[in-house]
Amino acid sequence: MTGDTHYDLETLAELAEGLLDATTARQVREHLAVCDPCGELLADLAAVREVLAATPTPAMPMGVALRIDKALAAEAESRRGGGVGLAEPPDWDELMRDAPWERPAGVREPARLGAVASADAPELSEVPEVSEPVRLGVVSDDGTIVPARSRTMRRRRWAMPAVAAAAAAVVVGTAVASTNLLADGGDGGAGSAPPPVALPVQPSAQETPSPDRSSQRARAYKLTDSSYNYSDSALRMPLAGLLAPAPALHGDSESAGQVAKCVSAVSNRSKLTVFAVDQGQYNGQEALIVASWKQRAAKKVRIDVVDPFNCKNLRKPALGRW
Amino acid sequence: MNSPPETPSAAERPAVTDAELLTAHINGDPHAFSEIVKRHRDRMWAVALRTLGDPDEAADAVQDAFVSAYRKAATFRGEAAVTTWLHRIVVNACLDRMRRKSVRPVADDELIEAAERETPLPDQTVEREVSMEVSAALKLLPADQRAALVLVDMMGYSVEDAAQVLQVPSGTVKSRCARGRAKLAPILSHLRNRTDLNRVSSAKGAELRDG
Repeated sequence: MTGDTHYDLETLAELAEGLLDATTARQVREHLAVCDPCGELLADLAAVREVLAATPTPAMPMGVALRIDKALAAEAESRRGGGVGLAEPPDWDELMRDAPWERPAGVREPARLGAVASADAPELSEVPEVSEPVRLGVVSDDGTIVPARSRTMRRRRWAMPAVAAAAAAVVVGTAVASTNLLADGGDGGAGSAPPPVALPVQPSAQETPSPDRSSQRARAYKLTDSSYNYSDSALRMPLAGLLAPAPALHGDSESAGQVAKCVSAVSNRSKLTVFAVDQGQYNGQEALIVASWKQRAAKKVRIDVVDPFNCKNLRKPALGRW
Repeated sequence: MNSPPETPSAAERPAVTDAELLTAHINGDPHAFSEIVKRHRDRMWAVALRTLGDPDEAADAVQDAFVSAYRKAATFRGEAAVTTWLHRIVVNACLDRMRRKSVRPVADDELIEAAERETPLPDQTVEREVSMEVSAALKLLPADQRAALVLVDMMGYSVEDAAQVLQVPSGTVKSRCARGRAKLAPILSHLRNRTDLNRVSSAKGAELRDG
């Protein structure tokens, strides 16, 4: 390649890195001396380095740092390996204070609690997280990550104080309910349950100790009926302004069961916790606007727009703000 | 690693090196490893965030890496710097995640990221905008080129240091960087005019032209 033949970016980049052999390098330089377009390309290449170097690298967010501390504390605990319980239960509120993550809880206790309590405490996600707090993996010698060995022992020990804390948060916890829950916690949340979302729990004898509450369906999200006709641009606005003013629906409405079905479908798809649902329209078509926390601290939500009959997405799920 | 300095607060902790902390950790000092984490977490975070381009993924990767380092401390051999060793674990955790992600069929994250790009926050500064464009552009590169560019061009490590972290020859790092830059140049060239980069790059160009 000489004379009026131009060089491609890759060759020029290799020249800049000193990767070309002496002869080729000389040819390219001779060409560059007379070719402005190739000189421009070379400047573009240099600019890439400058732009990359100038891109700020943010410090680790406090939430991530806390999460890592917690994971390491858990690791230290498992290493100590004694069969004795924790000297003191972890302070979940403190640990999770700044954490931007809302992970679906993988343990079944909070879901039950929420179902029992949500008539009075509709914000299920306010229940302290009791799921196994960290997903651990090990870098094996070849550099791949393999899942950490399962540690049922630790999980079991942590389940107790966490459930106790959750129970304390329940205003109406009756003696019967708490006893059941604690007994439940004892099995250490073996296996993983679906995200603690959404299904209105059918009232049943053991879960509704007081008869005056048996008519109420409990749900873990706020259901509103704004009848607002949403558009894509409206959904890019902070959603709280649109959903919050509409009055929350309580108890039975003829559509509540169908809504619950769709919420459950959405949460199974997204693996996130649904916290608000609005019955409205999307571009003139009947729709459910389903909001799940993506990053609660950052008020980031995933918005699913589904038709209320078949629960099919009416548009691609997207990120929005609350 | 040539930059930034090994310890953020050299004045406060003049005596204890990373290697000493690691030894203390192996010998059962319960606080030694947290000190190592404190010293290096920001850089590990930066590497993971830039390599993966997604804060959730980066957090998982850094956490996995630190937990793994905690467990494997005893296998650390003193011939490499502790920082190099930590970087290696973090980068491997990232690369592993990228490999797994490329197999996963779910395009949910991409959707959401696309939405994020379409919905710039109102308080966005030019700097943040550039940062997002860079992130998006880096994602178009193959994993090995991305990792090399993050270490060399973004984090400012020498080619030799990056080669140690990536466990490949220096020439390979150079060639990955060159190919990566060649791919990024058309995408990022418009940013050249936004800052005062012109001056620098022309000088560099002239220098290369003149041999």
